[in-house]
Amino acid sequence: MPILEITGLVKSYFKGDIAISAVDDISFSVDKGEIVSIVGRSGSGKSTLLNLIGGLDTASAGQIVYDGKRISDWNRNELATHRRFHVGMIFQSFNMIFTRNALDNVVLALVFGGCPKNQRKARAKDLLTSVGLSERMYHKPDELSGGEIQRVAIARSLANEPEIILADEPTGNLDSITANEIMELLVSLNKEQGKTILLVTHDQETAEKISDRMIYLLDGKIIEDKKINRKSEDQ
Amino acid sequence: MIELGFANLWRTKLRTILTTLGVVIGIGALTSMISFGTGMERNITEAFKNNDLFNSLTVTARKIDLERIAEGDVSSLAAQMNQGVASLNDSTLALINEVEGVDIAFPELTFRAKLKVLDKEMEVTVAGIPKSLENHPPFNDITYGSFFDNDSSAVVIVRWGTLKGLKIVVEDPAEPVQFKFHEKDQDFLVVPPDSLIGRPIQVTTAVMDYSNLALNPMQLLSGDRSIPFKEKTTTFILGGIIKKKSQFENQSVKGSLFVPYKTANKVPRLGFTNIWDVLGGDSKDDGYSAIYVRLEEPSYMDPVVKTLKDEMGLNVFALSDQLKEVRRGFLILDGILGAIGTIALFVAGLGIVNTMIMSILERTREIGIMKAIGGSENQIKWIFFVEAGSIGFVGAIFGLILGWIVTRIANQIANSQFMPAGEPPVDFFYFPIWLILGSIAFSIVLSLLAGLYPAIRAARIDPVKALRHD
Repeated sequence: MPILEITGLVKSYFKGDIAISAVDDISFSVDKGEIVSIVGRSGSGKSTLLNLIGGLDTASAGQIVYDGKRISDWNRNELATHRRFHVGMIFQSFNMIFTRNALDNVVLALVFGGCPKNQRKARAKDLLTSVGLSERMYHKPDELSGGEIQRVAIARSLANEPEIILADEPTGNLDSITANEIMELLVSLNKEQGKTILLVTHDQETAEKISDRMIYLLDGKIIEDKKINRKSEDQ
Repeated sequence: MIELGFANLWRTKLRTILTTLGVVIGIGALTSMISFGTGMERNITEAFKNNDLFNSLTVTARKIDLERIAEGDVSSLAAQMNQGVASLNDSTLALINEVEGVDIAFPELTFRAKLKVLDKEMEVTVAGIPKSLENHPPFNDITYGSFFDNDSSAVVIVRWGTLKGLKIVVEDPAEPVQFKFHEKDQDFLVVPPDSLIGRPIQVTTAVMDYSNLALNPMQLLSGDRSIPFKEKTTTFILGGIIKKKSQFENQSVKGSLFVPYKTANKVPRLGFTNIWDVLGGDSKDDGYSAIYVRLEEPSYMDPVVKTLKDEMGLNVFALSDQLKEVRRGFLILDGILGAIGTIALFVAGLGIVNTMIMSILERTREIGIMKAIGGSENQIKWIFFVEAGSIGFVGAIFGLILGWIVTRIANQIANSQFMPAGEPPVDFFYFPIWLILGSIAFSIVLSLLAGLYPAIRAARIDPVKALRHD
């Protein structure tokens, strides 16, 4: 059963007088519980596509149907609700609030989600513990390693129990060992909690290991959409 | 969310403190200005109250249209003077004293005379008062000595301030008078009360000297300038001295020297005793020229005036109407002072706008992050409102403290340096509760208004662009 159905999606913007389509007539759907990797070179429109699905950006044409609701027609407030409760986003550059410690960063997402004040701290601690950061939650991001920061980001993305995780190059700033750990964490979220994961990456090799499907983008268009057998499952 | 707002303010401490300081100065200026206005208003209102202007009136036998005379129209004056009138005699006085709401009524009798005490001389206003005033302020509390015991007595009461005008300072040895710097070089004679109470004092009045009247106008023109007056001196015994307890205390009974009124009537003097005599002509022959009426409560004013006018056919003159004019004047004064203070506060408001916009520019990426993890526009606006509002609130609190300290110091200087020695201090500034709460509310509202544009701008930031921002 698809959680996400995208048809004829276009996102174009003007550079001077010339219209450039970052996302050009893309259609695909994602089933609940799938891990889908979107791969392509820089500028192929991967991040723009993810931002559209995450409700950070609005489409020029086409539609996005999430869980039966057509979010491409929604206004800014409805999109904020979508971001808050239905999608969790992780970024290459972490997007932490650097002046606040790990716990506060997670608590902030809970504040936006309307979590009662007396439960926020405990829930944030549980989330950080579940990503293996029980010892580091009072550290500020600049006192944490890249892998640790990305774990905080994952914990934060899970704060309001979204069905889908949108990960935009989550391992782009990490060394290969740490990158593998983060990928494993994402896979475990998929296996244990049934989270649907949409992964944007240029690391085709890792993507093939963990994904159910690979979507290849070039100049804003899908050039290939293939199902693969997860290698990690074979092992 | 509120914590987040505070944390953001704390992050840029210096800028926050400077912005808040702007509000502090603005509120300080505003409140001290307005407190001066309200302080003066309170002092004047109290003076009105203490001087019995709210609950006293003067009854005259004849209706004199003062307004027309003031405008220069004296054509009707003769007609007014010749009309038949009710006379003010002892029976009228007794009737007035019976009217419900009248505390005391007594004939108004004042004249100018030269007062001589311990060889020092000064011209003062002498007032004749009845013994029945002994239970009424200020005579119910005589500072040194005591009141006279009958209306024909030769014992008189003098004001402490009048003696000071004569350079005589009466001082209780237990409570020495502190002289102010501008009085230091003056030559005061400091004496204990005992050296004056019970001692004789001289009052000199002018009387008409018929032997020296200029019968022929040509006599004046010819250079004979001798005036047709001569002086008569009467000796009294000083019975009591009354000292003011506050700067605006009861002055209801005009005059500096108080003489029992039957005695006062016998003091030789010129034919007219007061303004009513001049305007009222010959009424002195068949009674009093004016009667002073004090009411039990200001609320009796209207019914008593109605009774005296309509039922007794008397003419009534009350000053309480003047207060409305004074009040309106103060409203304008408050408005001007407030406007000056508000300018300072508006400058502070611009400071808040500036700080908030700077803050948004610095935190664009952070706002993008907040949006990405689900922050709604309202939630982001709220964060900025908390920041602006707390600058306003904290600024108002410290501004009030600043205003209070500044006005205390100003008050201290004014009282210690410029008010005469031995007189009670005046509070020039007044912080009523509405001023305190109003300035806090005003500051918060102004800060929120200043934060409105920055907050809307922050909430509208495009998250995709903001996340790319460094």
